[in-house]
Amino acid sequence: MAITEAPAAPAADKRNPLTAGGTRITLIIGGIAVVGLALVYLLGDREPALITQYLVSGLLLGGVYALVSLGLTLIFGVLGIVNFAQGAMLTLSMYLVYVLQSSLGLNLYVAVVLTIPLLFGFGWLVQSMLLNRLTEDASHDRPLLVTLGLSLLIVNVLLMIFGGRPKSVDAPVSGSIEILGALADTQRIIAFGGAVLVAAALTLVLRKTSMGLAIRAVAANGTGASLVGVNVRRVYAMTFGLGAASVAVAGGLITPFTTLVPTAGEQFTTLAFVIVVLGGLGSIPGALVGGLFIGVLQTVGSLYLPGSGSLILVFGIFVLILFLRPQGLFGAKQ
Amino acid sequence: MKRKALSAAVLAASLVGLSACSSDSAESGSDSVETVTIGSVHPLSGSLAGVGGLMNDGAKMAVEDINAAGGIESLGGAQLELLDGDSQGEAQVGQSEAQRLISGGAVALVGTYQSDVTQNVASVAERSKVPFVIDVAVDDKILEQGYKNTFRIQPDASSMGQAGAQALVAMGEETGEPIDSAAYIHIEGAFGDSVFAAFKEEAEKQGITITKEITYSGSNFSDATTQVSEALAGNPDIIAVTGYYPDNLLVAKAVGSMANDTKAVFGIASGAFDDTSFPAAAGDAGTEVLSANYHYSATSDRAADIRARFEEKYGKPMETASMLSYQAVEVIAEGLEESGSDDPEELRDAIAGLSLEDPLLAFDGPIQFGEDGQNENATVIVMQVLDGKVEQVFPQQFATAELVFPAGSGN
Repeated sequence: MAITEAPAAPAADKRNPLTAGGTRITLIIGGIAVVGLALVYLLGDREPALITQYLVSGLLLGGVYALVSLGLTLIFGVLGIVNFAQGAMLTLSMYLVYVLQSSLGLNLYVAVVLTIPLLFGFGWLVQSMLLNRLTEDASHDRPLLVTLGLSLLIVNVLLMIFGGRPKSVDAPVSGSIEILGALADTQRIIAFGGAVLVAAALTLVLRKTSMGLAIRAVAANGTGASLVGVNVRRVYAMTFGLGAASVAVAGGLITPFTTLVPTAGEQFTTLAFVIVVLGGLGSIPGALVGGLFIGVLQTVGSLYLPGSGSLILVFGIFVLILFLRPQGLFGAKQ
Repeated sequence: MKRKALSAAVLAASLVGLSACSSDSAESGSDSVETVTIGSVHPLSGSLAGVGGLMNDGAKMAVEDINAAGGIESLGGAQLELLDGDSQGEAQVGQSEAQRLISGGAVALVGTYQSDVTQNVASVAERSKVPFVIDVAVDDKILEQGYKNTFRIQPDASSMGQAGAQALVAMGEETGEPIDSAAYIHIEGAFGDSVFAAFKEEAEKQGITITKEITYSGSNFSDATTQVSEALAGNPDIIAVTGYYPDNLLVAKAVGSMANDTKAVFGIASGAFDDTSFPAAAGDAGTEVLSANYHYSATSDRAADIRARFEEKYGKPMETASMLSYQAVEVIAEGLEESGSDDPEELRDAIAGLSLEDPLLAFDGPIQFGEDGQNENATVIVMQVLDGKVEQVFPQQFATAELVFPAGSGN
């Protein structure tokens, strides 16, 4: 009813890319994945138990990738800002969790929940105080450079306060469970669940709330939205805040199995960009599916191409998919 | 031209008298030898800032200790001064920092933790004829260039791989638990490859089968479960590991989470297993993990005193890398003492001929450099995580606790 679709061009895909489900593409990707895995199992010349372990580990790694990419795709999709500070914000949220846990003695997962509003506020401030001033002239380089500067600032402030020595947090749960004979780390399963939950929550917010409606309107056409009375700057700040809040969940949930140093988040940045572009700019389901896809591809691929070899595979497939579908898996046709 | 004139002046002066010569040779404009400048190049920012900072502090503390003990006696009690350079972990930056420090008057350099940065700094040192004492940098290639001005205190990668295999065999014999097979997990690149190659050669000579070699990417590694399950698939006696801190921690945790019959996890030149923060970070998974590495000498009173004062002063435990920086400054100070001059070329000759007793590292003998600049007595010892602490367990002369092998047999 109230959720009318964005005033799109007549011939274009009528759904909003932010939340579009894309049943057909999901089926296609699922089909390719199943066929690929069947080939690996039948003709792959590796022990089935080992393949299952790689598959389970790959899915869990994909969960981590998806978690990190969700916030990025939101900021990218609505604001058009390439957020280079994504990795640094991830690290920031990890250190916040560390501080809350070590100084207040909080349970790790309570600390994660507390970090969410803190990062939301941080994101809001960054957008409203810093980036909103730059997005006026529709130039995309200036926010990009500012986020790059912001990332340097965050990393070095963390270095100044905490030093660079590795730190770790205590997790209330540890150990692992067996899935189909493969070992799955409990903390990683929780992170996987977190990814699905964040994706569902973001989709719900975007589809069912008036704030979500405003965000989708701005994403579709900023000028049009402001003409009908949407406070675009506020929506921008809100979106960056939401993106940062997703980052907080990601950072918090990966902290127990990551060595905490001021550059800890950086290793995810490159792949997060790949996943966001692969899934389709600004697509929440795209980030989720893309993350899982890349995680499985990289891990199962390392059965045959160990080490950096599996990344060659990832980038090769990435280029191939963009060649066949330039808008990304879930992206709307331009 | 200037340098020729300088050498002539030094030569003449050294014939005439001792301390007079130094004032003539002070190129950087100081009128007498009151201070001698040493340049230190380490990664003070970027992803290696933690260890880089510790190393810089180690060098700084050595300078302060030497100054407090009366400076360089043969230079009339000249005081040392340390100039910091930040390599940011980048070879190019390290190179320009080394140039800056030398033009700022440094007569010797210490550094740099990373092999690629060290390689660039060594070439600067060679061109400028300034002695460069490597505290940490493992790649064999650095000293294969035939440089005359570069010296290394720690063992190189291949000798660590070789010594690791020998220690493994010796421990197996001593405990009556012979080791027949090993799976090897290591980081990609020159460091991991060269340690592995040397280990493999020696191990196969000693009758140990390598069941599997598994490599991983250092820049993109957040889960070691698959690598470890592949290593365990061959049912090896030992899982040998080479890499840096975060990745080796993941490996140890993954091994800990899987049921297995291995006798031990055995790090060789591992950046994690003998780090003081490893036992707490790894928890149960770290228990009784072994590590063959160069290490500060826990049985030396002098090293213990330095570590205690370091921790009091900087509030952080002094890791081995930091101790090596301290040691490198001592080597330079001893060279100055011997040469009685702050001319870099004379200092270089003095360091080349040095035999420094009572090293702060657990080495086979005094620090003395071979033709290629490598410390001939550098070696590795074996550490083990026992009761939440890193203890030295092998060989006997350096042991601070008793070796538990196979791991798990002590409980």
